[in-house]
Amino acid sequence: MLQSIITQFLSGFSVVAILVIAALGLAIIFGVAGVINMAHGELIMVGAYTAAIVGKLGGNTFAAIPVAFVVVGLLGLVIERGIIRWIYDRPLETLLATWGVGIILQVLVKLIFGPELYYVGAPKILEGGFRVIGRLPFPWYRLFLIVTAILLLLLVFYVIFKSDFGLKVRAVRRNRAISGCLGIDTARVDMTIFAFGCGLAGIAGAVLAPIKSVSTTMGFPYAVDSYMVLVLGGVGSLWGVLAGGALIGESETILSFIFNNVIGRLLVFLFIVVIIRVVPRGIFGFYERR
Amino acid sequence: MRVSRRRVLQSTGGGLAGILASGVAPYSFVRNIVQAAESDTIKVGILHSLSGTIAIIESSLHNAELLAIEEINAKGGVMGKKIQPVVEDPQSLVQVFAEKAKKLLLEDKVVAVLGCYTSASRQSVLPVFEENNGVLLYPTLYEAQECSKNCFYTGAVPNQQLDDFVPWIINTLGRKKFYLIGANYIYPKETNREVKALLQKHGGTTVAEEYSPLGSTEFSTNINKIASSGADIVFSDLVGDQIVAFYKQFKEFGITAKDIPICTPITTEQEIAAMGPENALGHYTSFNYFQSVDTPQNHSFVERYKAKYGKDAVTNAVMEAAYFQTYFLAQAIAKVKSTDADALIYEGLPGQEFLAPQGKVKIDEKNHHTWLWSRIGKANEQGQFDVVWKSEDWIRPQPWVPYLYPGKTCDFTDKRVLDRLKKPWSAEKNRSGTIDL
Repeated sequence: MLQSIITQFLSGFSVVAILVIAALGLAIIFGVAGVINMAHGELIMVGAYTAAIVGKLGGNTFAAIPVAFVVVGLLGLVIERGIIRWIYDRPLETLLATWGVGIILQVLVKLIFGPELYYVGAPKILEGGFRVIGRLPFPWYRLFLIVTAILLLLLVFYVIFKSDFGLKVRAVRRNRAISGCLGIDTARVDMTIFAFGCGLAGIAGAVLAPIKSVSTTMGFPYAVDSYMVLVLGGVGSLWGVLAGGALIGESETILSFIFNNVIGRLLVFLFIVVIIRVVPRGIFGFYERR
Repeated sequence: MRVSRRRVLQSTGGGLAGILASGVAPYSFVRNIVQAAESDTIKVGILHSLSGTIAIIESSLHNAELLAIEEINAKGGVMGKKIQPVVEDPQSLVQVFAEKAKKLLLEDKVVAVLGCYTSASRQSVLPVFEENNGVLLYPTLYEAQECSKNCFYTGAVPNQQLDDFVPWIINTLGRKKFYLIGANYIYPKETNREVKALLQKHGGTTVAEEYSPLGSTEFSTNINKIASSGADIVFSDLVGDQIVAFYKQFKEFGITAKDIPICTPITTEQEIAAMGPENALGHYTSFNYFQSVDTPQNHSFVERYKAKYGKDAVTNAVMEAAYFQTYFLAQAIAKVKSTDADALIYEGLPGQEFLAPQGKVKIDEKNHHTWLWSRIGKANEQGQFDVVWKSEDWIRPQPWVPYLYPGKTCDFTDKRVLDRLKKPWSAEKNRSGTIDL
C-alpha cells in the first residue's frame, strides 16, 4: 500500500507537469494582457494537430515543439491583430470574441482534417521507463513532461523577470497609463505577450499529443483544467500556476487512488470552492493598488 | 466604417445563397434521383449526424446506407420503384433528432427511417415514431432492455457480445481476475452489470470496478491501481477519446498484452488507427464484424465501400449493420408489396434474412432484434483484428437476459402484447413488447 502511494505520488508529479504546461500560456495572457482567452483549449488542439503533421512528415516530438510554438504563436498574432486589439478594454467582449475564435478554429480544423481522431506517436528514445519503486516502471515520457514543465517555467521566469522586455511587461501590468506616458509601446507589449502565450499553448498541444488523444474537441477539458489551476493559484502569478497545478494534480491523483476518479474529481472541485471562499484571489493572488 | 442597410442586405443575401449552395451540393445526386423518378419512388429517411461531435462515426453509417441504396437501385429497386433517400442532419444534438424525425415522418412521409447512433438519440426519437406509427431501423450495439413496436434493432445486444466473450477469457486465456474500467454513463454500467453476472456464473472474480468521468483522459492513477490490484485482465468500456488515451498510457507504463490484456466490446479499427497499432497490439475486442472478416460478402463489401469512399476508408461493425439493415427494409417492402407501416412491422420485417458481410443474419420473429454472429479479434501489427474465435452458429438476441431479468421477455407475437398495441397511443400506454413471464 505504501509503495503504491509513493508510485502514485510520483505519477502525480507528471499530472502536475501536464497541468502546468497546459495552464502557462493562459496564465500569461490573462495576467498581463487581461484577456480571458476562451480559445485556449483550441490553441492547444492546433498545437497537437501541428505535431501530427510534423509526425507525418517524419519529425518527432522534439521537432514538433518549436514548430508548434511558431505556428500557434503566429496564429495568436493574427487573432490579436485581427480581433483582440480592438476590444482590450472590454473584458466581456474579449471573452465572447475568443470563444467565437475557439469555435471557428474547431470547425476549420474539422473541415481540413476531418472529424476522425489523429495519431501522434512518442519519440522512440522516450519509450519504456525506469524502475523506481513498486511494480510499475516510471515512463521516460512522463519524466520528459516534468522536465519540459520546469524548463518552460524557467523560460517564462527569465522572460518576465530578467529581460528588458519583461521589465516593460511588468510595468504595463502595474500601470498601463503611466507606462504609456513613459514611452513604452503598450500595444506592442500586449501583442507580443498574446502571441507568446499562444505559442506556449501550442507547445502544450505538441507534448501532450503522444500520450493523449488528438481530436478537434480535445481542447475543452484542458481549458477547464487550466482555468481551475489559475483560479486556485491566483491570477497573474507564475508561482500561482505552479502552486495551483501542484495542489490540483497531486490531490486529484491521490484522492482518485484512495476513492475513485469520479469522487476524486468531485472532492478537488469542492476543495477549490472552499479555497476560493477563503482567499478569493487565489493562493498567490495579487493585491495591487489601483 | 458606416454600414448601410443595403450593404448588409447584399452581404447577408450572398452569404445565405452560399450556405444553401454548399448545403445542397453534396446531395445533388439525391436530387437527380428525384428528378429521374419523381412519383415513382419509395422514400426512405436517413437520420445520422453529419456535423457535431458524433459525426465522426455517424457519417460512416450514412455512407454505408447510401451505398446499399445505390446497390439496390442499380439492381432495379423495389417493386420496380427506386428507393429515394431523404437525408436529414441532426447535428449530433438530441433534441434536433426528434424534430428531424417528425419532419421525415409527417412532411416527407417516408416509409421508414434508417437512423440514430447513441442511445440518447434513439430514446429521443422513439416517442415520435410510436405516436405517428413510423418504422425506425437502428444499427448500433446498445445496452438492450428495450423493445419498441416501431423500432427494429440490428446492432448487437450484450448477450451477443459478452455471453461467449467472458467465458472465453476465463477458459481460453485462463484469466479470472477482472478489473472493470468504464466511462461514467449508462452503457458501461449496464454492460458491467452483465459482465459481473457472467463472472459469477463462470467462476471469475471482479477485482475492482471503476468509472472515469467522460472527457477525462488521464489514466496514470487507474493504471497504477490495476498493477497493484493483482488483476490479470482489464475489461474496458471506455469510449471515444478515452480509448486512445488509455491504451497509449497503458503501454507507456510498460504493461503489455502478455502481462495484462485489455478486453473490450467497444474498441474498433478506427480507434486503433488513431492510437497507432503498436499501442493496441495483442489486446482483444469482441464484435460481430471486423474489417478482416474472411467471407466473400465482406471482401466485396470492403472493395465496394473503398471504391465509393476512397481507398483509406475503413469499415466497422456499426456501419456493417447500417448496410444490411437497408437490405432488410428493401426485402421487407418487396415481401409485403406495400409501404404500410403495420404491414412492415407485423409481416415484412420479422424473420427477414440477409447474407451480410459478417455471415447470414436475421431479424427475430418475435422481439425485433437481430440474430448475429459473435467473434473475438486480437489486434495485430497492421491495426486490424485477427479473428481468434468465432461462434459456431448465429446467436439469438435477448433484449432481457435471463440471468439478470429472469421474469421478463419481449414478444410481439404474444396475445397480451397485441392487445396492448391495439389500444390507441398515449404517453402512458407505450408501444413496448416487454411482458412478464
